[in-house]
Amino acid sequence: MIVFEKVSKKFPLGNVALDDISFTIEDNEFAFLVGPSGAGKTTILKLLLREYLPTSGAIKVNDFTITPKHFNQAEKLRRAIGMIFQDFKVLPEKNVFENTSLSLKITGTDEDFIQKEVRQALELVGLTKKELVFPSQLSAGELQRVAIARAIVGDRSIILADEPTGNLDPKTSWEIIKIFKKLVGKRTVIIATHNTDIVNSLQKRVIVLKEGKLMKDVKKGGYEV
Amino acid sequence: MREILTSIRRTPYQSFAAFLVLFFTLFLAILFFISLSFLYGLLGYVETRPQVTAYFETKTQENDIFKIRNELINSGKVLSIKYVSKNEAFKVYKELNKDNPLLLEMVSADILPASLEIYAKKPTFMSEIAEFLKKQNGVDEVNFQKDIVERLLTLTTILRRTTIVFFLFLILMATVVLFTTTLFKIALKKDEIELLRLLGASNFYIRKPFLLEGIFFGLLASFFSFLIILGGIFYLRPFLISYLRGIKDLTLQVLSLQFTVWPMSLNFLLLALGFTSFFGVTIALIASYLATEKYLA
Repeated sequence: MIVFEKVSKKFPLGNVALDDISFTIEDNEFAFLVGPSGAGKTTILKLLLREYLPTSGAIKVNDFTITPKHFNQAEKLRRAIGMIFQDFKVLPEKNVFENTSLSLKITGTDEDFIQKEVRQALELVGLTKKELVFPSQLSAGELQRVAIARAIVGDRSIILADEPTGNLDPKTSWEIIKIFKKLVGKRTVIIATHNTDIVNSLQKRVIVLKEGKLMKDVKKGGYEV
Repeated sequence: MREILTSIRRTPYQSFAAFLVLFFTLFLAILFFISLSFLYGLLGYVETRPQVTAYFETKTQENDIFKIRNELINSGKVLSIKYVSKNEAFKVYKELNKDNPLLLEMVSADILPASLEIYAKKPTFMSEIAEFLKKQNGVDEVNFQKDIVERLLTLTTILRRTTIVFFLFLILMATVVLFTTTLFKIALKKDEIELLRLLGASNFYIRKPFLLEGIFFGLLASFFSFLIILGGIFYLRPFLISYLRGIKDLTLQVLSLQFTVWPMSLNFLLLALGFTSFFGVTIALIASYLATEKYLA
């Protein structure tokens, strides 16, 4: 479960990224964070990953509580979260299998288990036949699939995606969304996006942000610009 | 290993610079180590030799020599005294020159001098004993080891101090160069490190490849410097054999272990390799650790 309790985030130069935000996302819930650029979507994801500390308020992620004070369990927290980035962040020196297995390798997971889990994740994203291919030989859509596989492999219970279709054409975007749909009810998924088509077609929970404020929280709805 | 080779391939010049500076440092370290070991071995050898040796004219009678010996014993300044007769001297000569029949043919016991080998109770008595012996009839020559010991001690002290200062400078230089090259490698892998951190990798996991690369360079550089020194020793072997002729062996005591420095034994070579590898790996590890710490902190 994810709980934001009166969370604000101000940067040293004074700009307010989030202003007194509160919401709760239940386990295995699927939610979109929407809003224009600068609304605070990415800041929420970065707070969840403990890339930032909140200026005030508290964030609960599973058993962890992040407050403005020092939080020294970032490693453990991050191991519970699978993150998908707009720019994929796939390592060019490693092949598809190696990129996907990174999430497990860093935790010292047994090699046999890694083999099994990575193959399952690659099957889910449709890259079984490309496990030995290097990123330079993959399309943008395939790179994003690798990033998704890396995020879902193992038992990471929360999947965060920051504009996962931002660099993709509409057709490929839909293919990526189809993969996310497979996760409905199995993992907690939060997608930050401003792709209205995708949000409206899935009819999932939508949290609307604008200039750091929570404007609307719709349990099953769409989004208009 | 694959990751190390990939890293070297990605940054060949930085890797080469890291290797060269480590190699240079370790080469000098092993050179100093072996030189100091030799000097300490030599010092130990000289210290075990009689402190004062009096050689008598060949015509001097044994009774006269024994009289002098008794006077020395009665003086209370002597710890021990050993009489080496002409025949015993000849035995020693034969042993030393057993490989040279020509030298053996030319010498007989008659032309070798009898001698007294004396150990003093205190170093200050040595010069008094030497002076006493020089005044006695029938004494041909008095050898006094004090000068040699003192010169060797001075040389060893100078070399040790120079080595420490020079070596500290080299360690500092090597650490700074390795630190800088590691920082450069970290900068090249910035995105990868950032990703690993976001995935929840521990600092040790992120640090590990850099530390392993440091260990690799440390071992490689120490191995190469050891090989070159070994080649140098083999090249100089005939000269050393001739120079150290007459010295059966030189030993070095490290803690409770004894190593034979000359003739160079396998355990001494392993000690030298171990010493160099230890220094190489330690320097590389410290530099890599500091560089990663700076980035991760």
